[in-house]
Amino acid sequence: MHPHLDRPAAWTGLLRQLPAEAAQPYSFDEFQRRARQRTRAARRLAGATALAAALLLALGVAALSMRFGPPEPPRAAPAGAGRGAPVQPPAGVRPEAMEHWLAGLPSEPAVVRPGTYAAVLRLEDRLAQVDDVLSAARLEPHPPERLLDLQRERTRLVGTLAQVRYAETLADDSL
Amino acid sequence: MARLAESVVPGEMLARACAGEQAARAAIYTALAPATLTLIRRMVGQRSLAEDIFQDTMMILFERLPQFRGEAPLGAWLRQIAINRCLMYLRSPWRRARLCWEAVEAAAEAAAPPVAGCRAESIDLERALATLAPVARAIVWMYEVEGYSHQEIAHEFGRSVSFSKSQLARAHVRLRAWFEPEERRSCTLT
Repeated sequence: MHPHLDRPAAWTGLLRQLPAEAAQPYSFDEFQRRARQRTRAARRLAGATALAAALLLALGVAALSMRFGPPEPPRAAPAGAGRGAPVQPPAGVRPEAMEHWLAGLPSEPAVVRPGTYAAVLRLEDRLAQVDDVLSAARLEPHPPERLLDLQRERTRLVGTLAQVRYAETLADDSL
Repeated sequence: MARLAESVVPGEMLARACAGEQAARAAIYTALAPATLTLIRRMVGQRSLAEDIFQDTMMILFERLPQFRGEAPLGAWLRQIAINRCLMYLRSPWRRARLCWEAVEAAAEAAAPPVAGCRAESIDLERALATLAPVARAIVWMYEVEGYSHQEIAHEFGRSVSFSKSQLARAHVRLRAWFEPEERRSCTLT
């Protein structure tokens, strides 16, 4: 059909002879109508983009302020807290809050009753230990100073134990 | 077929169009639109896409008309705008995908009944062009019809000169194969 197609210039001639587009472009009026439509669509798109960006920015700011917001103001101390030290009313609280805080304070000073169980156990263990060492020292030829030291230690421990027991008795009587 | 690059617009009409006179703009549109649409249609292959690009091109023309310095014919200036718009579409992966999806439409357009007065040879060539990939078709058109050099094509596509040459050579092989008789084609393939 085209025996000359192997020549490089053949395509140029053939392609240039192609007829113009069969369907003609639309009229100038139609072109203007489409141009207006596109401009409006582009403006709407730009507006929507700006709105979306503003929304994202606001969300970001809100998220950041929630994450790294200012520290909370100091609260009034809860009722019954800090029995050991005198509790001071927080500075800058309103009168109603102050009254509420005062109502929450205990009416009488608190009485502390620490248990003696652990102290007694440790003293008794220590006494048993000293008795063992003292028995062993009496059987072996130790210098008399060593025996005297152990006797004094035992006497001190027995005295401490007696004091603790006496304190226990007093505490029981006061109830 | 009238070539866009050779289209000249009288200076007086151009001045009136630059001043914003609608009648002058309409006259320029009427003079240049057919060749512009034809060029874009040959570059991208599809009528619907070509009309989109054509609308963009003509809008840019009228927007930038006051910047036209008259160093070349207005048609050549418009041709450059049109080709840039087409290449922008061809370079974009999303738009290339659109071209592939709508390839069926292009094939149907190529197989459409011929316009009265068209020679069978032209119809064959139209169909053969429609079988080329969009980039290859654009390169064939730019080189063979619009007279771009390989260097210019490579620059427009942002690729090497070898890319332009190899694309053109492969397109020629494909076009020649289209015109070979059926029996010879099957012999060549086997």
